[in-house]
Amino acid sequence: MTEQKAEKPKRELPLSRQLVNKQTEDVYASAWAAKEKGESIGWSTAIFPQELCETFDVPVLYPENNAASISARHFGNQFIEHTEGEMKYPINICSYARLNMGMADMMKNGKFEGVEPAMPLPTFLCLANNSCTQLMKWYENLSENLSIPIFFVDCLFNYNEEEPDAYKNKYVRSQIENNIAAMEKFFNKKFDWNRFLEVQRISQVNRKLFNEIVALNTRMPAPLDGFDLFNYMSCLVICRGKESTTEILKQLKKEVEEHIANGTSTFRGTEEYRVHWEGIACWPNLGFNLKTLRKYGVNAVMNGYVTAWDVAYEPGDLNGMAKAYQCSSTNSFSTPSIMDMRSKSMKKFACDGMLCHVNRSCKLMSFHIFTGRDIIEARNKIPIVNFDGDQSDTRVFSEAQFENRLQGLVEVMKENKGGK
Amino acid sequence: MSLTDILEQFAYIANNPNAILKKYIEEGKDVIGCFPIYTPKPIIDAAGAVPMGLWGGRITPTFAGKYSPVFTCSIMRSCLELGMTGRYDGLKAVIMPILCDTFRGMSSSWRAGVTDIPLIALVHPQNRTDLGAQDFLAQEYLSVKLRLEKILNREITDESLHESIKKYNYQNALVMKFSKLALNHLDVIKPLVRHYILKSAQFISVDEHIRLMENLIEELEKLPEHVWSGKRAYFIGITAEPDELLQLFDKYNIAIVGDNLAQESRQFRTDYEICETPFWSLSSQWMHIEGCSTVHDENADMLEKFIIKEAKECAADSVVDCLMRFCDVEEYDYPDIAKCCEEEGLYCLCLEIDQSSEDNGQTLTKIQSYSEL
Ligand code: SF4
Ligand code: SF4
Repeated sequence: MTEQKAEKPKRELPLSRQLVNKQTEDVYASAWAAKEKGESIGWSTAIFPQELCETFDVPVLYPENNAASISARHFGNQFIEHTEGEMKYPINICSYARLNMGMADMMKNGKFEGVEPAMPLPTFLCLANNSCTQLMKWYENLSENLSIPIFFVDCLFNYNEEEPDAYKNKYVRSQIENNIAAMEKFFNKKFDWNRFLEVQRISQVNRKLFNEIVALNTRMPAPLDGFDLFNYMSCLVICRGKESTTEILKQLKKEVEEHIANGTSTFRGTEEYRVHWEGIACWPNLGFNLKTLRKYGVNAVMNGYVTAWDVAYEPGDLNGMAKAYQCSSTNSFSTPSIMDMRSKSMKKFACDGMLCHVNRSCKLMSFHIFTGRDIIEARNKIPIVNFDGDQSDTRVFSEAQFENRLQGLVEVMKENKGGK
Repeated sequence: MSLTDILEQFAYIANNPNAILKKYIEEGKDVIGCFPIYTPKPIIDAAGAVPMGLWGGRITPTFAGKYSPVFTCSIMRSCLELGMTGRYDGLKAVIMPILCDTFRGMSSSWRAGVTDIPLIALVHPQNRTDLGAQDFLAQEYLSVKLRLEKILNREITDESLHESIKKYNYQNALVMKFSKLALNHLDVIKPLVRHYILKSAQFISVDEHIRLMENLIEELEKLPEHVWSGKRAYFIGITAEPDELLQLFDKYNIAIVGDNLAQESRQFRTDYEICETPFWSLSSQWMHIEGCSTVHDENADMLEKFIIKEAKECAADSVVDCLMRFCDVEEYDYPDIAKCCEEEGLYCLCLEIDQSSEDNGQTLTKIQSYSEL
């Protein structure tokens, strides 16, 4: 008799999640179809004005998002090893870059045995440095290795807390316009300004819907496990200008409203504490983090990362769009600006504490955590703990340290709640 | 002044920035700290103030950890530490070009940790082929001028800006002339000596550095040519420090024949165009910079090509990459540089630079193996 292992019954994913998976599959499939036909395929940084390629109807994939998926499936190490070994890149650069540059090089040299999800090699790159400067270096290296051009929107860092001066906006807008002209030549297609307006409109509908859903998590207890937001974020990253995202988000909103009406939540367990999660998820350790948070009754109801795609402007207003791209992402702002947003958000979401991922890959996010601590402690009077991790490099995160730090946070939160 | 006296002066200046800062303050001069790599120094000079480079120091930071993660490059960690512990007291302001992620973070860390020295930040346009880029930078430099005027409570005129721009171009010409001349006197211009000469420009006024350079060139021109028979290295990276590192090269009979170091030649290679308005002149420099890890170039292989061309021009047999630990912009460039050097028959040596930790002996081994080739 063969021994049989009792398989845990898999929970059926909610319809919204099934739609997300389907959407992702479709996006990858259309890129592979373009590859088959020898057409243009782009790789883009996560907060590039996607409205341009969407209007041109050219498929675009997103290496940061792809690296996150590959890391969450624990397939990342082979690529990271290739980058650090054969390609000789130092270990200190962002692990998304290490993963992606390694994958691109292995694909180029036919050393690639397939991975899920696999991106076809691009024929052009779209680069916006609003998330960080490393992206610029990463894309320079891709461009050189693959001999392909970059469409670049330099977004400028907002070092002051005031509104950016008009001359900054003028430069960012000029780049968007010049990129449109350059893309027209490269794709050999005319840019359809009416379609552009439509894409802008859809993008605004989508970001507003996402904001509304996130805001529903201010309810106590929250209808969503905050980590779920990471799963839906990809719609805004890879399909912000598509109607399929509108559908998904409408469905999700419906599901969340049902949870509210029924007094249920996707958070498994009792929500005893609500925390703000600062930084990117540790993708390879997502399961462990989730399980450990639940174990202590902690729902990370909100995180700053998922709001990075809230690129808000009036459709038809190119200046406004330029400004929105200049002013998106945690990493395009000074620490006081970011912490002002965080402080307000933590009040709105009634957070009892702040759990900060000191991400070895992401210097700037880590800087914000170090320098922002005083600001949050003074304004919100809640405990803050840091833990070390990385979004893709599995060598940094320690389960023991994470649990230990979380325990410390819980103890203080408990005390603050009068020991209950 | 004899050659020995001149070289001693360079060495003193390069090794005692703090004493020089104090001296300027005692003389009633305004001093403005300049973070690496590209601060518009003519604006400071035109204001009658002295620009002083901030390049950290050989310390083990203890306070800086409050506002910066451990994986910050040691230059910025030590700058922050020196600021937080009062070593930069007396600076009227600091100017910080946001060239990398560390600077993005540091701009807020500085403001949090060093509350009594105001920070003037600026950002350079990286998409230099865009028609709006130079216009933007001219405005950004104008904004630096306005912020500086407010702090110093004095007007900076266009005339004085034009004058200062000319001085900096002249300084560039002198340094470039010296670099060439030094190739005939590698017995005198040893690695450490060369480093002091170039680094000293960071800590004294442009007028003083010009005077010293003129004297140096005059004295060098009097010397008979020396034919160097040892190895010839071309240095790249942010800084080639500490002194012991360069002494090792000397010990193994290796000369530095040229460099693309951020602290040294990168400071002097690109002139300001002479234009009608001073801000157009000032911004023109950035538009023409070649071969720098912190400046995006449309031609992805520009940096390697630049390094190879320069190294060959000064007949180098190796490229020594002084790779600053945690400096991601430089770290991204290293593999392609190493590959290109190999293809071009140049030996490539990578040395990890960290101001706050002692070398573990690896550097010596690498230099030894190179010298034995
Ligand atoms: S994780 Fe940080 S460093 Fe890496 S690409 Fe994203 S923003 Fe840049
Ligand atoms: S990371 Fe590199 S470029 Fe940035 S401040 Fe440090 S040494 Fe300079």
